[in-house]
Amino acid sequence: MTSLPTTDAGPQPIYTGRATNWPMVASTCIGGLLVVLMGRQANGPWADLTVPLVLAAVGVLINILTASTLRVTAGPRGFTFHWGPFGWPRSTYRLDEIERAEVIDLPWWRVSWGLWWTPKRTCCTVRSGPTVRLVLRNRRTVTVTVPDPVAAVAVLDQSLNQRRG
Amino acid sequence: MQWTIDHSSRARLQDQIAASVRRGVVNGELPIGEQLPPAAELAAALSVDRNTVLAAYRELRDEGVLEFRRGRGARVTSEGPALSPVIEAARALITTARLHGLAHDDLVRIIKELT
Repeated sequence: MTSLPTTDAGPQPIYTGRATNWPMVASTCIGGLLVVLMGRQANGPWADLTVPLVLAAVGVLINILTASTLRVTAGPRGFTFHWGPFGWPRSTYRLDEIERAEVIDLPWWRVSWGLWWTPKRTCCTVRSGPTVRLVLRNRRTVTVTVPDPVAAVAVLDQSLNQRRG
Repeated sequence: MQWTIDHSSRARLQDQIAASVRRGVVNGELPIGEQLPPAAELAAALSVDRNTVLAAYRELRDEGVLEFRRGRGARVTSEGPALSPVIEAARALITTARLHGLAHDDLVRIIKELT
């Protein structure tokens, strides 16, 4: 059993967590059902449902595979999030990119319910309440739902402090 | 959950990973049914080889702490390893320490030095 190269000696805490986007799963299924019902022509034969059914199934599958579950790791290698069972979309923020990490109280009207990207911020939030926010050195912010944001920020702070000496 | 890995320790990395899971199960961070991170993602986060994580997961599966299901990853199946042997050993240690006149703090210091 081998270990990959690491620069830090001594015990290293690493945080991992998982959050499931249940509203997205539910709305995706409802949306798929609506596509099927709207795709059927009025009084048309049910056999004409093939195309809307395929479209709805593909849409639901893609959404559930890419936006249903959010997995997060935080530690000496920075902060990483992975979406869905295949771990994509994903992104990693190295420690030298992170200015600071903090816990914010996210109101429900600011929840992105999935991955949301703008030039100034990235949001991966699936519920309101305590949430991790990273402030990057380029002033961008990254807001991510994790099960225990206090523990995740504590681990990141420790890694950032170790790195800065 | 929080994992603690010491690359400079003489303890095997797979044992440290397994110990982190056992600790998480015992203290309630990992409830029954909780899915553990995929081996490749955890290996990248811990800076270890993927096979090291898989070896730790297999060790825990053999103990009955985890179960593997196709497409569902590794999940917690029990409330953790039985602690009664550890508690019995601790009671015996406390009795021995009292016989040798050691105070509580002395005993804690010895345990810290050994672990």
